[in-house]
Amino acid sequence: MMEVELDDAELVRKISSGTDREAETELYRRMAPRIRLYGLRHLRNEQAAEDLTQQVLITTLNALRACRLREPEKLASFVLGTCRMTALDLRRTAHRKERLLEQFGAELTAPVQPIMPRVDYDKLRRCVQNLKERERTVVVMTFYDERTSSDLAGFLDVSEANLRMIRHRAILRLRQCMGVAA
Amino acid sequence: MNCSSPIDAAVLADYWLAALAESDEEAVEEHLLDCDPCSARLREIIALAEGLRHLAREGSLRMIVSDAFLRRAEEEGLRVREYAPPPGGSVQCTVTTEDDLLIGRLAADLIGASRVDLCICDERGVEQHRMPDIPVHLGANSVVFQESITYAKTLPDNRMIARLVTVDETGREGLLGEYTFNHTRSLPGPGTWQSA
Repeated sequence: MMEVELDDAELVRKISSGTDREAETELYRRMAPRIRLYGLRHLRNEQAAEDLTQQVLITTLNALRACRLREPEKLASFVLGTCRMTALDLRRTAHRKERLLEQFGAELTAPVQPIMPRVDYDKLRRCVQNLKERERTVVVMTFYDERTSSDLAGFLDVSEANLRMIRHRAILRLRQCMGVAA
Repeated sequence: MNCSSPIDAAVLADYWLAALAESDEEAVEEHLLDCDPCSARLREIIALAEGLRHLAREGSLRMIVSDAFLRRAEEEGLRVREYAPPPGGSVQCTVTTEDDLLIGRLAADLIGASRVDLCICDERGVEQHRMPDIPVHLGANSVVFQESITYAKTLPDNRMIARLVTVDETGREGLLGEYTFNHTRSLPGPGTWQSA
């Protein structure tokens, strides 16, 4: 890690000025976890999120080394744009990759380091059981299926806005019960 | 690194669920790519979501579920054991090691009910646990109740009575239906309640 944390614009300038390996390492340290999150959200798969991270970082580094980022303070926007393009590309090639994996085996893929905090399931079970009935049903069924469907609102005879409110309240209670900041 | 405008955890949950409007989603993503504290909070939300999925698959929660939830569970390969005693009637039931979810389908006329409670009673009909104001669809003709299968797997032979009651604004109760579950233990272990 760099001794004094540079802001994004300074980091971009250092990388653009030559082959500053330390600045490039800092870019990786700073951006990789954030890009992985984007990948998990959009690709719903840890390996795909890891692939996305690698590709976005390579594209970003190449662009910075070639001084193609004209406004250094807009690094996050540039990375986000690259994430979107790369995710689209990965979705297109996912089918082809699945076929290659079937052919050559999953051992060819590099292991992905877990990045998520650990959850104490026993504690979570107690916290969920202490929710109000509606909150428990909403939060479990929503996250089980990862959908905020109108079906669920229909099942509960509530509007989607109301469903959202119940979900928000439940998440707040769960986080408080689990001992994390609201 | 500090964040001067942290994103609320509930909004991050909506983001994870793809429930935000496109413009809101873009703003959240711009922020996340520039903010470690909010990224860390999103990781907590994802871990919470994973935990909730784990509990749902484990079948260990006592809760009301929908038919769509059961269909999804079956599609995922979970084995659902379901009993549907008629109102005022009883059913012989058990649970095996292969079962993942244990469901009681309680038929009832829910039309006009503003609040419905589910009472879990012992074999004498004495209330042991109440689930107040359960989520019900008022046009539906049944309540789908999931009993904790991890709890059920520890049970000796016993009788459980479930009672659905309406509760009006004054607190007065009306019986919608009573359902008796005669559980026979089919797993190895004690066949009667053990005294402490």
